Amino acid sequence: MMAAVQQEGVLRAFLDTVDTLVEDDFDLIDVLHRLCARSVEFLDVAAVGIMLADPHGDLHMLAASDESERMLALFGAQSRQGPCPVSYRSGQPCLDVDLASDHKTGELAAFAARAREMGFVTAHALPMRLRRRTVGALGVLHTAPGPLTSRGTRLGQTLADVATIAILQHRTIEHGNVERAQLQNALTSRIVIEQAKGILAERWQVRVDEAFRTMRSYARSHHARLDEVSRQVIDGGIDTERLRAGAAGKAGKAGRTGR
Amino acid sequence: MTRPHGSRERVEPVSTSARMAVVLDGLRPRGGTELIGGDPAACAEALGVDGLAVSLVCDGGVGEPVWATPGPSLRLEDLQFTLGQGPGADTLDSAGHVLEPDLDRVDPDRWPALLPELRALRVRAVFCFPLLVGRVRLGVLTLHRRTPGPLTDTAMDDALILVGALVSMVLDNAVGDTATREGPSVLYRAAVHQATGMVSVQAGVPLPQAMLLLRAHAYRCGRPVLEVADDVVARRLHFRDSGAQPDAFGGKGR
Repeated sequence: MMAAVQQEGVLRAFLDTVDTLVEDDFDLIDVLHRLCARSVEFLDVAAVGIMLADPHGDLHMLAASDESERMLALFGAQSRQGPCPVSYRSGQPCLDVDLASDHKTGELAAFAARAREMGFVTAHALPMRLRRRTVGALGVLHTAPGPLTSRGTRLGQTLADVATIAILQHRTIEHGNVERAQLQNALTSRIVIEQAKGILAERWQVRVDEAFRTMRSYARSHHARLDEVSRQVIDGGIDTERLRAGAAGKAGKAGRTGR
Repeated sequence: MTRPHGSRERVEPVSTSARMAVVLDGLRPRGGTELIGGDPAACAEALGVDGLAVSLVCDGGVGEPVWATPGPSLRLEDLQFTLGQGPGADTLDSAGHVLEPDLDRVDPDRWPALLPELRALRVRAVFCFPLLVGRVRLGVLTLHRRTPGPLTDTAMDDALILVGALVSMVLDNAVGDTATREGPSVLYRAAVHQATGMVSVQAGVPLPQAMLLLRAHAYRCGRPVLEVADDVVARRLHFRDSGAQPDAFGGKGR
C-alpha cells in the first residue's frame, strides 16, 4: 500500500523531470538515470532500467538505477528475451514474473536464470508507448516475492510514459516526422558514453563502471551534459587527468579529504 | 504501407515494408568489387523518394558516393563536395539527422551556394541519415524528392533499418569479411563500445580503427564480436601498440 507521503514524492519526481525537460539542452541519459533511481524508491523495488528498441526491434538499455557492469550485462541479456521484450512486443505490461519457480524453460528461462543468480526474485516490465506503437519498456527487478499492486502498476506506467516523453522531448531535430530518428539519437548518445567509458577505464586502469561514476560526477559538478563530456573524451578535447581530478575534488568535498 | 492515423488502436513494435525487405535482402554484394549490392533505384522507390546516395567519410568530410541512383542524387553529392556545404556535411558535423521536407522553407543563409543549385535540379525535399556507431562517423545516406513533404512513418522506419544494415556492411567490408555473422543489433551492445574505447587506448589508434581491430580479431578467430568484447572489458584480452595481434592473458604472466 502506498502512503500519502510516497504519492507526494512521486509527484515531485514527476515535476522535477518535467522541469528539466523545459530546459533547452538537458542531459537525457542523466535525466533517465535519475528517473530510474527515483522509481526504485517509489516502487520500493531493487532495480529499474529503461530499455529502448533499435530500428530492428531489439532492446537496449538506455539508463538504469544501478549502472554497475553486472546490471548492464543483465539488461543487455534482455535484448530479445525477458520481460522487457515480452512487454515491448505485446504492448502490455508483463507483471509478476516469478524468477525462482517459473521459467525453467521457454522464452524467459535464460533471463530468469541470470537474474536469479544476482539475487532477484520477481521481475516486471511496463511498455513505453507512443500512440499506436511501443518504443521500449521499463524493467523492474525485485528481491522479494509478490505481485506489483495495481497502484504500483499505474505508477510504473506513469514513469514509463515520462521516460518516453523525455526521450522524444530531447531536442535534436527541428521538424519533420522525427520521433523515430529521436529514438535512434537516444541510442547513439548511450553508445558515445560507452565508448568514452572504455577509453577512461583503460587510461586509468579502472573498471568501466568506476570510469562511468567518475565521468558522471565530473559532468554534474561542471553542469555539463554526460554525452558532451563523453564526446570530448573521445575527441581529445578534454584533459582526462583533469577530469579525474575535477571529479575527485567534488567527491572529496562531500566526504573526507584524502591525501 | 501507411495507415491513416487513429484507424487502429493496436500497438506494433516495428514495421518493415515488404518492398524494403526485398531491398535489404539484395544489399550484400554477390562477389566483385562493389561495396553494396542491389539496385539503389528499387530502394528509392521502396522509400517513396526520387533518388538516394550513400557516401562514405573521407578525410573527415563527405567523400565518394559508393551507392547512388543516377541523376540528381549524384549531382547533389558532387555539389556538396565542391561547395563544402549542405545537409550531408551538417549530418556529419552534428552526428544527427537533417530532415528538410520543404527546401523552400529553409533559411537561405543555411546553404547559400547550394540552395539555388538544388532549386535548379528541382529537388524539393532532402533527408540525411548519418551512418555512425556512437562517435565513429562512417558516412551519410541522403534521400531526395521532387515534391515537398515529410517521409511517411513506414519510410522513416525503413530508412533507419537500411542505415543499420549499411553500417554493418561497411564495417564487415572494412575487415575483409562479407559474411553476416551477427545482425546490426550487436552494434548497440554496451560491451562492444566499451571494448572499442579500451582497444583504442591499448593500441594507440583512433576509435574507428579500434572498432575494426576488434571486429577483425573476432572474424579471424571465428568468434562473436560480443564475446571478444567481453574478454577485452574483463581484461582477458589485450591489444598492444600497433594492435594487429592481441595478446591473450593467461599463462603469460603480467
